[in-house]
Amino acid sequence: MSARRLLQLVALIGALGVAATFATGDQQRFWANWVVWVLWLATIGLGALFLVALEYLVKARWSVPVRRVAERVASLLLLVAPLAIIALASLPTLFHAWVGPEAAQRSAVAAKAAWLNVPFFVVRLLLCLAAWLWSYRVFAVGSRAQDSTHDPRFNVRARGFAPVFMFLFAVTVTVLAFDWISSLQPEWYSDVLGVYIFAGAFMAGLAAIALAALSLKARGRLPDVRSDHLYNLGGLMFAFTVFYAYIAFAQYMLMWYADLPEEVFWYKQRIAGGWLAVALLLALCHFLIPFFALITRDAKGDPRRLRWVAVLVLAAHYLDLYWLIFPALGRGVLFSWPEISFAMLFAGSGLLWLARAETRGEDMPVGDPFLAEALEFRL
Amino acid sequence: MPEQAFAVVGFFENADALVRAASSLRGSGLGHVEGYTPYPVHGLASALRLRRSPLGGMVLVMGVLGALTAILFQWWANGIDYPTVTGGKALFSWEAFVPVMFEVTVAFATFTAGVGMLVLLNRLPFFAHPLLSSPAMAQITRDRLALAIEAERSAALDVEPARAALISAGALACEVVPYPVPLPRLAAATLGRLAASIGAACLVSGVLMYWSVKLFPVLPPMVKMLDQPRLDAQHGNSFFADGRVDQLPAPGTVARGFLPYDVASAEEAQLLANPLPRTPEVMAAGRRVYRTYCLVCHGALATGDPLLSKAYGAKPANMQSPAIRAFPDGHYYDVIMRGKNAMPSYAAELSADERWAAIHYVRALQRAQNAPDEDLR
Repeated sequence: MSARRLLQLVALIGALGVAATFATGDQQRFWANWVVWVLWLATIGLGALFLVALEYLVKARWSVPVRRVAERVASLLLLVAPLAIIALASLPTLFHAWVGPEAAQRSAVAAKAAWLNVPFFVVRLLLCLAAWLWSYRVFAVGSRAQDSTHDPRFNVRARGFAPVFMFLFAVTVTVLAFDWISSLQPEWYSDVLGVYIFAGAFMAGLAAIALAALSLKARGRLPDVRSDHLYNLGGLMFAFTVFYAYIAFAQYMLMWYADLPEEVFWYKQRIAGGWLAVALLLALCHFLIPFFALITRDAKGDPRRLRWVAVLVLAAHYLDLYWLIFPALGRGVLFSWPEISFAMLFAGSGLLWLARAETRGEDMPVGDPFLAEALEFRL
Repeated sequence: MPEQAFAVVGFFENADALVRAASSLRGSGLGHVEGYTPYPVHGLASALRLRRSPLGGMVLVMGVLGALTAILFQWWANGIDYPTVTGGKALFSWEAFVPVMFEVTVAFATFTAGVGMLVLLNRLPFFAHPLLSSPAMAQITRDRLALAIEAERSAALDVEPARAALISAGALACEVVPYPVPLPRLAAATLGRLAASIGAACLVSGVLMYWSVKLFPVLPPMVKMLDQPRLDAQHGNSFFADGRVDQLPAPGTVARGFLPYDVASAEEAQLLANPLPRTPEVMAAGRRVYRTYCLVCHGALATGDPLLSKAYGAKPANMQSPAIRAFPDGHYYDVIMRGKNAMPSYAAELSADERWAAIHYVRALQRAQNAPDEDLR
């Protein structure tokens, strides 16, 4: 059985499990899983698109040979768009704290009604999706067209668009974090949550790009991508383990120090009972293990090391979103066959999506005028 | 003394020739092989078998040490040496220590990287590498690629075999670089002049700064400690209706430690009971109060006839008299509070506990002078 058939089988079993979860009637749990996985796919796609835009923004050369891989990972955003629109159905069950009728009685929630109301929420989601798809079109579709035209004017256009994208990215990632994570418990607020999600998204995006590039390389399709290029992917991933930990700890420490009831309850929930083990596992898998695994110079360019660290980071990113969202249900650590089915369906579909993207077009942006120079990149 | 050769430098046509020659010369045993190029040549480092810099490991070790230093020091300072509770947190609150740990880790790591690179690995202070003053260096910094066979451990280099090896490895031309003539006195004089210049610059700028700040005060004097948003006693104030700072306390205010004595008459006072137990500590406190305030008039035995009283013709009460011994404790307390005849009030001098303790002590004195037979058995 080919790997592709196996993936399809896994996704199919997952789909049956997901359908069974929906049918058994635990709507809250079903939608919490759905939102976690939509965010997982969306943040990976956004992280990859961020790397593409970063190349144009800072006129980077090294990343040109892996840019097509990043663009393929960013194409997950096309898959995310319908899934996110379906996720709007979760509003009455998962977001009842501000959608439900009791919102009017909670003064802190009622005061936020200008932001937290269903029509504006839907409009915000549609605007975010539009911004992402438009950016994907400018960067990735334009880059694919360049393969045949070899037109350097595309690079000029992309460089002009990169600052615009950075602005859109900052706003939309913050909106994503506030709308789909903070608003589960609308009394709570943290200004830095958008940056926190960005840190996790970029790490996960880099991990997915590294994994996809290594998988192509293992099949002999990216022979010119050397460990010098991989080193930069590993180096950025290493840097962002620290950035993620810095932001995560900064948010925690300020709330811990101030000890204000309207802030600290959120963390108390997330370190109570079994969630403490999840939080410690998150610190271990999202920071400590990747940090020490990538700390030496050789490790950052070592394909085997990079591969397992990337898998770990993607898993830790799921754990991060799970830890952010599931405690809001107030039901303890839920992890059993519904969560596993969702993982099989969504991770499997994501992989199938990328496998399909891999079959189309060139593996490197062959029309990019900087490709030859980028292939000569050395540390 | 004839000039000793430090190195033979060979120039090569291109980077490939350089790298090939580097690998062939490395094991020749003629001396230390070093490459000099105007730009980084890929592959040269591995051809020369340059050892991987140990700086990374040093930085890691010192970074971990920095983190440990910071957390142990904060734990010792905040939890042990001078325990300080901040914001109701525990004495050892690792969360609060993390920012300092982070900064100290970074400080240790960066200082190790900087100092280790300059001093340990590049052996500063090191005025000049002999090659820097050679004619070869002028070409190398422009467009020539060179390999040098250098003398090891300050020994003289055997020039001819080195030259022959370089030529056979493909060098286009060779140049012999001598050890530089040592100029210790010049170096000492230069250092002296440098130190003197720095000292003079510090002195001049310090004096200039002192007088310029004194003569042209740009900043107003620092009066932040003086200008406080507070009201001074005996000053006016627009906040209260009567325009005064000094306000009477609210009606019914009781000052801490000064419970009011609201007993109307001596008869009512007789009902007061002594709240203190008769313990050795209370007795000791009572004796201290008695000896300080009471003894001068009432005498060591409470008989009311010490020498001082006689000298002034006063007649303090004899507390051993049957009439006074019969009074309850409350009566004594009332007398101490209000005074009696010539005796002034001791309300201001003593606290309630001190008064009651003194009364216990007076009772003990009375019992000692009028002990029943059982006490003596």
